[in-house]
Amino acid sequence: MRKGLFYGLLFTSPAILGFIIFTLGPMIASLVLSLTDYNVFKAHTSFVGIDHYSKMFSGEDELFYKSLGITFYFVILRVPAVIIVSFAIALLLNLNVRGRALFRTIIYLPSIVPAVASAMIWMWLLNPDLGLANSVLSWLHLPTSNWLYSEGSVIPSVVLTTLWGIGGTVIIFLAGLSGIPKPYYEAIDVDGGGWYSKLRHITIPMVTPTIFFNTIMTIIGSFQVFNEAYILTQGGPNNQSLFYVFYLWRTGFRDTEMGYASALAWVLFIIILFFTFIVFKTSKSWVHYEGGERT
Amino acid sequence: MRQSKLTLTAGYAALLLISALFIIPFVWLLRSSLMDLSQIFTMPPEWIPTPFHWDNFHRALTILPFGTFFTNTLIIVVSVIVGTVVTSSIAAFGFSRIPWKGRDTVFGILMSSMMLPAAVTLIPSFLGWQMLGFYDTYYPLIVPAYFGGGIFNIFLLRQFYLTIPRDFDEAAFVDGATYLQIYMRIIMPLSRSAIIVVALFSFLGSWNDFMGPLIYLKSDSLFTLALGLQMFQGSYTAQWDLLMAASAAVVLPCVIVFLIGQRYFLEGITLTGLKG
Amino acid sequence: MSRQSKSISFLMAVLLMLAAILSACTKSDSSASNGNASSPAHTASSESGKAGASEDITLRMTVWGAPEEVAAYKEAIAKFEKKYPNITVKLQHIAADYDTKLTTMVAGNDVPDIAQMESGSIAFPLAEQGKFYNLQEFLSSDPEINAERLVPNITYSLEPGNIIGLGPGPESFGLFYNEDIFKDAGLTPPPSKASEAWTWDEFVEVAKKLTIDSKGRNATDAGFDPKNIKQYGVNIGTWWGSYSNFIYSNGGDFVSEDGKTFALNQPAAVEALQKIADLINVYHVAPSPVQAKNIPATNVALQTKKVAMAIDGQWASAGLAQSKFHFNVGVIPTMKTPMTTVVCGMFSMFKSTKHPKEAWELMKALLDPEASIDMIQAGTWMPSYKDWYTDPAMLAKWTENLDSRPSGYKDAIVDVLLNNSHQTPTGYVKNFNKIMDIVNPALDKVWLGQQTAQEAMDSIADKAQAQVQGRRDVKG
Repeated sequence: MRKGLFYGLLFTSPAILGFIIFTLGPMIASLVLSLTDYNVFKAHTSFVGIDHYSKMFSGEDELFYKSLGITFYFVILRVPAVIIVSFAIALLLNLNVRGRALFRTIIYLPSIVPAVASAMIWMWLLNPDLGLANSVLSWLHLPTSNWLYSEGSVIPSVVLTTLWGIGGTVIIFLAGLSGIPKPYYEAIDVDGGGWYSKLRHITIPMVTPTIFFNTIMTIIGSFQVFNEAYILTQGGPNNQSLFYVFYLWRTGFRDTEMGYASALAWVLFIIILFFTFIVFKTSKSWVHYEGGERT
Repeated sequence: MRQSKLTLTAGYAALLLISALFIIPFVWLLRSSLMDLSQIFTMPPEWIPTPFHWDNFHRALTILPFGTFFTNTLIIVVSVIVGTVVTSSIAAFGFSRIPWKGRDTVFGILMSSMMLPAAVTLIPSFLGWQMLGFYDTYYPLIVPAYFGGGIFNIFLLRQFYLTIPRDFDEAAFVDGATYLQIYMRIIMPLSRSAIIVVALFSFLGSWNDFMGPLIYLKSDSLFTLALGLQMFQGSYTAQWDLLMAASAAVVLPCVIVFLIGQRYFLEGITLTGLKG
Repeated sequence: MSRQSKSISFLMAVLLMLAAILSACTKSDSSASNGNASSPAHTASSESGKAGASEDITLRMTVWGAPEEVAAYKEAIAKFEKKYPNITVKLQHIAADYDTKLTTMVAGNDVPDIAQMESGSIAFPLAEQGKFYNLQEFLSSDPEINAERLVPNITYSLEPGNIIGLGPGPESFGLFYNEDIFKDAGLTPPPSKASEAWTWDEFVEVAKKLTIDSKGRNATDAGFDPKNIKQYGVNIGTWWGSYSNFIYSNGGDFVSEDGKTFALNQPAAVEALQKIADLINVYHVAPSPVQAKNIPATNVALQTKKVAMAIDGQWASAGLAQSKFHFNVGVIPTMKTPMTTVVCGMFSMFKSTKHPKEAWELMKALLDPEASIDMIQAGTWMPSYKDWYTDPAMLAKWTENLDSRPSGYKDAIVDVLLNNSHQTPTGYVKNFNKIMDIVNPALDKVWLGQQTAQEAMDSIADKAQAQVQGRRDVKG
């Protein structure tokens, strides 16, 4: 493997070139724009230095900290929920039961139903008076909720609605599970181990690369939550679902302050980069690659 | 691997329950596509259309040139899948099976492309494509697929390649195989299910992509299905019955593709199972 | 190996810099051409004026809307192209995320000649940067139409004398109702003449009698259960378009007359907001914003008797016309003076157009009610020319013997629009969106009954005041 660098660059060159050609330019452009008062409609753009950043961190823009806090709350609730629920569903779908092809398709269906159509169903499911969720809760004699429509419950409710869209994550887990060689399980059968010890000693260690992938992607995706605010809540009630990227989009496109929106974006970029980096660093201790490779 | 009766029964019950929850949006879409406006909004909801308004489909699909939209979408989707599968799997190989200096750093830099909200790169990207003279063509929608196909897919495949035991490569090396041969003969077949997942995701992503065609296309002869779907939203009200029928018609191919992809998916399992 | 890696990283660094420079060029390039966009257009326009009508001209226009609205535009365009054989009109239908698309088009210097715009979104930001023609110039010299010929409140001005957009037709509010519900309840339906409009109290009384719980009791009965309402007396939207009717009717406004002071915390506005909130939280005759999520569009809501009355824009007529039941429209209840808010889109002409004269002719063709008669008769639109309201023969064309125009329509919508209408706040309140970003969260608490209108508006008055930047209908 002497020519590792040559072949490494050769194989990855399409991706590297793609990044340089299609991504890097716009990224740098937005970084530069974040230091200007760029407004798409304005003829002249002037340099404002770090004004945008000091406006954010000085607290002058209240909505910055507010939307950031809301987004963090969302990420903290959503990431573990998505990983646990989708892993559990993937385990179920990996059972050798009749009709599992159909079950797999059904789990994926909500991910392909257009958002305009599925938004209607959330409105009904989570309607405080007539919705299915509250009907079931009251039938079970449990306290009901105002779901999307009260300040306290709107974020958990949005997390709940996003759980319908975990089909993709489940599929990736399934692909990970399918890669586990069957003889490994047979060894546990021979030792007389049960369902739990298979999960603990074979399944989980073997899918850690997939858990790692899904965790990273869910973190990145959750920080950038947008559609739910755009379609379901418009940031309400009382700004309690004003997600960061929704606020950023509103600033850039509705209020046409693209320079400030770019600054907002770069702060989020640094935050996401930081958390992704942390997860990457910790992965050395818990992600197990059969290939013997460590990231 | 053996599964106990108890596990299977409990699992089956859980699957039925979860499926019931997950099928609701789709059933809702289907039943709404066959209803008239007043029935769609009845509360509490009715699940069976009375009568079945099959003509919704006819109206929805003839009011706009859906045939053209379909052909256009197909051209884009097929081109994107091919590019994505080929280049992302090659790149992922370079990021996982070939040791080289700076590999993980470069990978990290590529990962960063997912971390900046698209809202602020939209206009610079648009200007770039426009400068190249590709505004109102499919190039901005297709070409990036041939340059790595997105870091998401590369990362996904990288994770799978890393789980394949090293001994395979080393044995092949001893036999005088090149990296390309290892990629073609060992890694690709062994990660078939992951590659099918990538193909599936790029199909669905490109089929449902709305923002890309919206920004980069202007001639309606080039429009796609996802753009066409939006056209049922009026200035004051949406034509829900037609919107639902058209959505159902657009979603149906996805369901079929998924069911087929599914089959290969199951095959993929037995293959890797045997070789592993 | 190490030498190789160094050279590679050097190469990478060069590439990175190249990309950065390239992107910088793109930016300066586009901003430079943006800056000049208006000046060459001016010279070009005078040239095209000289060139006469023989030269082949292409005009581009962007619109949003449902397929039949687009079809109506196409029909108007076909007539226009027949009249001007040398002109071809390219209609670009942007079905969703219109503003995002238009913003990128502006960034890329690829703007249409005429764009449909919305007063609450990027129309004014564009106008403030000088992107639109002042249509006053055309209006004052045109032999066929002038400001007087247009119905009130459909022109949008950046400042007095600078018209940036003309509405292809107004839209005002009415009190739509299901006639059968009134007949069955033995109640007199809402009056249609503004002079006889219900007072707020009369309106509340009727709404109470028409609000029915699941056991058939109405809101005036002793055992009425507000938690299980089967039929609401009225559905009244809690968005600004809807409640602005009552703020204006009560003599209030969003900002003071001189445009210097935030006015939603003033008694007239507060009273109107509180009365609407009371419909929801005190009398239980209107659905809360939460419950309203499950109330369908007005035509379906009235037909299925989810609500007995609905305060909605006249655009609801089109849907109502297609629903087979007895509906009618009355004048909306009055607080102090009868008043309705006029909301409508607009057509604006980009300064970069090379053919302003032809674009103006196209705009006129689109404003002409004759061209869009189908949409007007269907109920979605209303004519933009005043004579279509005042000349009985022309009025009859679009208000008589049509499913979309019930018996109360002429009095309740047409007359009120002509005599008692007010411009939409998005048309004259500067910085409207930013002010409402502060107001809306506070109003959420009012609609949910957690705060009184006075408390809520007082609590945000200072912050809202900081966003007040004046009025567009006041000089300076």
